Amino acid sequence: MNPIIKSSLILLGLAIPVSAQKSHIDPALPDYNVVSGVSGSLSSVGSDTLNNLMTLWAEGFKKQYPNVTTSIEGKGSSTAPTALMEGIATLGPMSRPMKSEEIDAFEKKFGYKPTEVRVAIDALAVFAHKDAPLEGLTLKQVDGIFSSTRKLGGEDITDWSQLGVKAWSGRTISLYGRNSASGTYGFFQEHVLAKGDYKPSVKEQPGSSAVVQGIGGDLYALGYSGIGYITSGVKAVPLGSGDGKFYEATYDNSLSGDYPLARFLLIYVNKKPGKALDATTLEFVKFALSKRGQEIVEKDGYFPLPATVVEETLNTLSK
Amino acid sequence: MSEQPLSRPDPDRFEVSKGTLWLDRAMNHIIRIGGVAVILAVLGIFFFIVKEVVPLFSGANVAAEKSVLSESKRPLEMGVDEWGTYPFLYDGGNELTFISMIDGSRKRIALPGIDGTTVTATSYDPIHTRLTLGLADGRIATFLIIYQTGFDDSAKRTITPSVDAEPVYEMKSGAGAVRTISYGDGGGQRLLIAARDAGVSVLRFGKKRSLLGEGRLMLLGETDLSGKFDAPVVAVTASQNGDDLLVATSDGKLRFFKGGGGEPKLRQTFSPFGEEPVRRMDYLFGGVSVAMTGDSGAQKVLSLFRPEGASERQFGETKAFDAIGVGHPIFSPSLRNKTFLIGAGKTLSLRYLTSGATRWQGEVDFVPVTAAIDAKSEHFFIAGDDGRVQRFKLDDSHPEASWKAFFGKVWYEGGGKPVYQWQSTGGSDDFEPKLSLIPLITGSLKGTFYALLFSIPIALLAAIFSAAFLPPAMKQVVKPTMEIMASLPSVVLGFLAGIWLAPILQDKVPSVILVVVSLPITALLFGWIWSRQPMRVRGLLENGREWMALIPLLLIAAWGAWELGPLFERMAFVYNDPASGMQIADFRLWWPQATGLGYDQRNCLIVGFAMGFAVIPVIFTIAEDALSNVPRTLTAAASALGASRWQVVWTIILPVASPGIFSALMIGFGRAVGETMIMVMATGNTPVTEWNLFSGMRTLSANIAVELPEAAPGSTHYRTLFLGALVLFAFTFFLNSAAEIVRQKLRDKNRIA
Repeated sequence: MNPIIKSSLILLGLAIPVSAQKSHIDPALPDYNVVSGVSGSLSSVGSDTLNNLMTLWAEGFKKQYPNVTTSIEGKGSSTAPTALMEGIATLGPMSRPMKSEEIDAFEKKFGYKPTEVRVAIDALAVFAHKDAPLEGLTLKQVDGIFSSTRKLGGEDITDWSQLGVKAWSGRTISLYGRNSASGTYGFFQEHVLAKGDYKPSVKEQPGSSAVVQGIGGDLYALGYSGIGYITSGVKAVPLGSGDGKFYEATYDNSLSGDYPLARFLLIYVNKKPGKALDATTLEFVKFALSKRGQEIVEKDGYFPLPATVVEETLNTLSK
Repeated sequence: MSEQPLSRPDPDRFEVSKGTLWLDRAMNHIIRIGGVAVILAVLGIFFFIVKEVVPLFSGANVAAEKSVLSESKRPLEMGVDEWGTYPFLYDGGNELTFISMIDGSRKRIALPGIDGTTVTATSYDPIHTRLTLGLADGRIATFLIIYQTGFDDSAKRTITPSVDAEPVYEMKSGAGAVRTISYGDGGGQRLLIAARDAGVSVLRFGKKRSLLGEGRLMLLGETDLSGKFDAPVVAVTASQNGDDLLVATSDGKLRFFKGGGGEPKLRQTFSPFGEEPVRRMDYLFGGVSVAMTGDSGAQKVLSLFRPEGASERQFGETKAFDAIGVGHPIFSPSLRNKTFLIGAGKTLSLRYLTSGATRWQGEVDFVPVTAAIDAKSEHFFIAGDDGRVQRFKLDDSHPEASWKAFFGKVWYEGGGKPVYQWQSTGGSDDFEPKLSLIPLITGSLKGTFYALLFSIPIALLAAIFSAAFLPPAMKQVVKPTMEIMASLPSVVLGFLAGIWLAPILQDKVPSVILVVVSLPITALLFGWIWSRQPMRVRGLLENGREWMALIPLLLIAAWGAWELGPLFERMAFVYNDPASGMQIADFRLWWPQATGLGYDQRNCLIVGFAMGFAVIPVIFTIAEDALSNVPRTLTAAASALGASRWQVVWTIILPVASPGIFSALMIGFGRAVGETMIMVMATGNTPVTEWNLFSGMRTLSANIAVELPEAAPGSTHYRTLFLGALVLFAFTFFLNSAAEIVRQKLRDKNRIA
């Protein structure tokens, strides 16, 4: 075979998957530079949504600094403030912003507020079984499905026929969700249920993967979790605000605000005002925000940050 | 015959060696110490739990602190920073007076853009710290009060107040001065309502939510509500989600308008105090409930909820509060929970919405005209007509807690009726915790009931069979095998049940029913037929080895029943689709239609199976030991007198072993009640209050396991979880004590003399 044709075929073959899975890494993101004097241990307690990501970051970080030991625990965002306060963890990953009450407790102990670092973008997805014939849902419908108070004003939806799936008439919608320690639980409650109450029949799972597994094994199920946990057994349902259009949980729709459930994933750190963060923690955060760190974000199924956000965040950390 | 000399006993033989005696005494002490230590440990756990629970039931502590006299006479509005150190007063002029509670210093900041006009209406929103002023010329000015925090060199917090002027709005409709005003800021959607000398007008603002950067606030339009009222407007208020409006008129009527993102529409007209006009109305934190004070001092809190059967949310009275008295009504909401401060005359009262309780009530030294709670709910302030500002320390850590909240039906905000509900935490500050333990207690009892329903018959019958029928050689294999079963980690069992078994069984309920019914019938039938066989046939299998013939039969019966399931489903569980009139044979559809109860994949059937694995070995082992320990002399004597194997079991072994069997049941019960991981993994943790076989549950123990990591130590949530633990403790304690009494009675009754 002509070597030119051969190499161009290889190039084509390479080019197809690359264009199909377009990378959203901002070229302006900073590269990570190894500094000296980083050692000790890093501990992280918090979000389950961020758990895989934290583990991947820690692995990458340890490649740069073999002396650093890391421990990562992900039981839910609500465990982060307590751990950060008690000094059990130096990093508190959360998938929702801290509540005032949590900030109060932290401030009471240290005299200043914890510092928030935005590390990735997540589209909180409503998942259905992969064979569910569902085109999309409006937020009002999702509220009617999951909420007992239905603050968005929709009607109570319990049956699949109410979602226009006539073939499944009489089938009860089986609901999966996270337990209340989860930031995803809190975010969903605030932005979909308009701060209303969940129905008691929502099956509360201890982790995001348990939610997705549950849905994958239950044909008539609907549930929610971070987009990074998507598997071949489930699909993310496109969402809309009621204008007839449904938006997929993609990077562009998340940034534009068309997809209504996009959010930042956060790490909270204990930074004394006017003083620099300790070197190991600071370098970890810098690593997570670097080009390399954001590639890991994309690999894990979440969306990378634009360079402007990273710059802003690094500025607050250097204050 | 040879003479054997009589050996004289050695007297030392009857002396116990000192070492043995010493060991005996030592062991006695060690055992005694061990026993006492166990009791102490249990008591210690009990006291620790009680210690964590007791603070839940303490009331609010309020103590008067500093008071400062300011120059600001007749203040109209007051606000404060979140630390309760820098309150400001506004008295209708063109400046704000900030008073430092640390050193008493004053700072005046001018409000730009309102010179030359008179302020005729004011309102203050403590959530966004926004002061809204209505002017005599019909314009509206809003100001954000900003408390900038910094840290000085010694890392002490410094607070610098400043004022940020927002655009001045002009109303197109109506005429004359603004008389009453309210700004409802819901972030992305906002409403500004103002009643003027003539006319009522609403400005609507909107902002698109996007992830990066805040969008610009746009004025979407103005709605003229003037024609909607047949009496003069006396008070207006807009909710903090920027969606709802309330307008009170002098004839006592209230009108509720709903924005819904567009023009506000009238949804409800009602008269909370009859003919009496509303004097003051304010939203509580969360924007769902409104505290109202009538002209005569009557107090009501109305909440927005969906009455049963109604399609839209309406205001209604869900809680009754005592009247506060007559006088100038003051109000301030807490920004951390549903507490609110109200007052009239010299009486002040702190009330909590969820429980309807008055947390604290007291008299103050002077008549306050305005009040403010700081954002952290640690202090509140009152200001008098003479410019006096008094700070109070407020310490109420657990306003959510009460007996009624834990064990009674509570009418929560937004709910259609009083319910038992557990939903302890939410994602936002204004979440109202729902802390009823009833769903959890129900869940614990339900899970235990179905687990025991499944395991007791199997475990006891197996124990009897193993102890009384099985040849010893087989028993040596069977018993350790059952005990290994007990060592299976429950998290593995729960995981298998939830992820693997539940999806398999969800469509096979008729098959499961058939199997459960067919197995005992087959066994009984086999026994009956076997006993009718001639000795020649029965002799083929040694006594106690009949199961070798039975097991294949059982397997065949189980397989047959499983395969017949779909047929059974077509015969018995046919669902009529009301829409199309079609008949579908499906148990999952049939169950809700026939019983009105839900069908869930993670249900008690699954839990029963999984718990069976955990509970059966426990009951089996102990019961088997008790049955095996019946003295052989008794059973042999009975057999020798011609009793059959069954007669021996029924009349000798069971009665003698009954105390032991009873213990086995109790320990099995204890295991089932306390089992956590299986429940966490397999039940779905749905806090429902129903006994439906095909729904999930949330047990007390699973609830503690799931929620304790997130609960901040010392918080109401944390202590409530301990209360759940106490309930569980009390529950097993009383049941075990009762069981012990019964066991003693049984033992006395069946004592072998």
